[in-house]
Amino acid sequence: MEDDPAGPDEKEEFVLYAEEINRIQEAIDSFTGEGFSHIALIGEPFAGQNLIMGEIREKNPDTVSYIPFFNVVKGKEAITSTYGTKEIVLMDRCHFLALRRIGGFAMLDAFLDMISMSDKMFITSWNSFTWSYLQAVKGIDKFFPVVIEVPKLDSKTLMEAVLSHYEGDITFIDDTEQPGEQPLVTTKTVRLNLPFGHSLDIPWPWLNMTSRSPEKQGEAMPDIQKVVFDKITRIAEGNYGVGLRIWEQSLDYPEIKLSKIPEPPCAIDLDINEAFLLNIVLSMESISFTDLAEIASPEIDIEQTLYRLTSRGLVEQEKGYYRVNPETINCVISYLKRIRMVW
Amino acid sequence: MVLTTLNETEGIVAELPFREFDPGMILQIVYIIVLAYILVMVLSFVFRKIGDMAGSHRITATMLIPLLKIVIYASAIYFIVATVLQPSLSQLIAFSGLFGAALGFGLKDIFADIIGGIVIAFERPYQIGDKISVLGTYGEVKDIGLRSTRVITPDDSSVSIPNFSVFNEATASANAGKTEMMVVIDLFVDAESDAGAAMDILRDAVVTSKYVYISPSRPYTILLEDFPFYKRIRAKAYVNDLRSEFEFRSEVTRRAWIALQREGIQPPRFPAHIPEASHNK
Repeated sequence: MEDDPAGPDEKEEFVLYAEEINRIQEAIDSFTGEGFSHIALIGEPFAGQNLIMGEIREKNPDTVSYIPFFNVVKGKEAITSTYGTKEIVLMDRCHFLALRRIGGFAMLDAFLDMISMSDKMFITSWNSFTWSYLQAVKGIDKFFPVVIEVPKLDSKTLMEAVLSHYEGDITFIDDTEQPGEQPLVTTKTVRLNLPFGHSLDIPWPWLNMTSRSPEKQGEAMPDIQKVVFDKITRIAEGNYGVGLRIWEQSLDYPEIKLSKIPEPPCAIDLDINEAFLLNIVLSMESISFTDLAEIASPEIDIEQTLYRLTSRGLVEQEKGYYRVNPETINCVISYLKRIRMVW
Repeated sequence: MVLTTLNETEGIVAELPFREFDPGMILQIVYIIVLAYILVMVLSFVFRKIGDMAGSHRITATMLIPLLKIVIYASAIYFIVATVLQPSLSQLIAFSGLFGAALGFGLKDIFADIIGGIVIAFERPYQIGDKISVLGTYGEVKDIGLRSTRVITPDDSSVSIPNFSVFNEATASANAGKTEMMVVIDLFVDAESDAGAAMDILRDAVVTSKYVYISPSRPYTILLEDFPFYKRIRAKAYVNDLRSEFEFRSEVTRRAWIALQREGIQPPRFPAHIPEASHNK
């Protein structure tokens, strides 16, 4: 690790997404009340848009009004309530403004009418999948001159972000098999899938490229802490919330073992209704049963479909709200992209 | 002159080193044919599986299948000829010419189909997985063989279309090698209805469908056309997988009609001035 010039006592507080926060802050500082300067903050579920919005609120308590949505917006009052607010309006979780059903864009249209006519500055946060959908269907990006995407984190940033939550030291343990103990050529059993549901196990020679231990090669041993976070970042695909969840599930405070970091297999096969409902849950990030029923009923039997998705570990329920299981979210995204359910 | 040439060819053929047929040779020929057949089956299966796993790139993966078939069957023919004749290069060329002429006179239709198969494999007017319309048949291409193309129609009939038809028939491919495909959905409403509201409902039904695919290069359109006794609302949009073409059309139509009737928009009625008797004609 690099030496910290400030010293351990004067360690600077780590701020995640500092660059994105600074961009929004600059826009707020330069806002004069003239021209259109609305901002859209877009991110995947769990990516941490709430952190950015929270930071902006904290920095600008006197100039910013905050309007969050937790459920599907059903009345125009939620939108017209912005008339009595401050000059800058933070609107969180705007994906709740649109429903994927016939007549489901009325609130979004009212919202777009409102921001088109308003002199205020609107800083809005959106789920990236709803954003892509509304971009294709309604051309929503034309209303927001500034679009800021929540970036994927690299291993080092995720490590700093996660460890900033802990005061004490954490022990990192590599309890996996040491590659140096393996022979150069090994035999692995490869399963060959044959037609008509049969399979054949055949031995296959395997060149073990990592058979020589780093010590024997004259290289430094890898930093276990880095190895742990590399693995978490790879599984989470740089998503902060997913990475944090994997970390928390793997951590047995004050130690974390490399072998305890779960790497679930990615094999999803759904029918069209299951895939569509999963897409709705993914696009809304966290949605109540009532809202789900309003979107997809009576086309889809919500109870049965949710049960099937939950029992497969793809969706989880918390306090009456359904969301995609963070550990499977990247698998879900790649599946839904593959079948063109998300664009 | 012609006679002389034919005599010369006959002489060359007579000199060809035909091996004596024995059970071993016959077994070897059978073995080559079976091996080529199995190889074609296995590779077709593997490429189809890869295609299924590739999702939206399904058709790209399967387009290699016809090419592989040609290569494997051509190799099998070569090995069979080599097993029977063991010819020199000049003898092989002379024999090929004679064999080709015989094929041209006796089996010209089959030969034309095989050439058609080769043209389809290289030029790709359509590919396995495409939805095509040819010789009055519409359906999904399931296989492109050496002689014919097998198409599965919407009512699950398997139709074999001779490959030669690629030369003299117009072939329409609805998706041209892509997984998505444009679907046209028509709704007919009463002439007195609010056409604007009907268009909004159809637009919503299309863009909220679970089968729709929209992108800058795959936009959707809603069109209105006025006819004497009714209005036609037409939606043009892409289905995310051409296999769901009919489900897409059905789902949008059903959901749109529920919403239209909720708004009091009715289907066309018979014009009042037409006598009742003429309705029944």
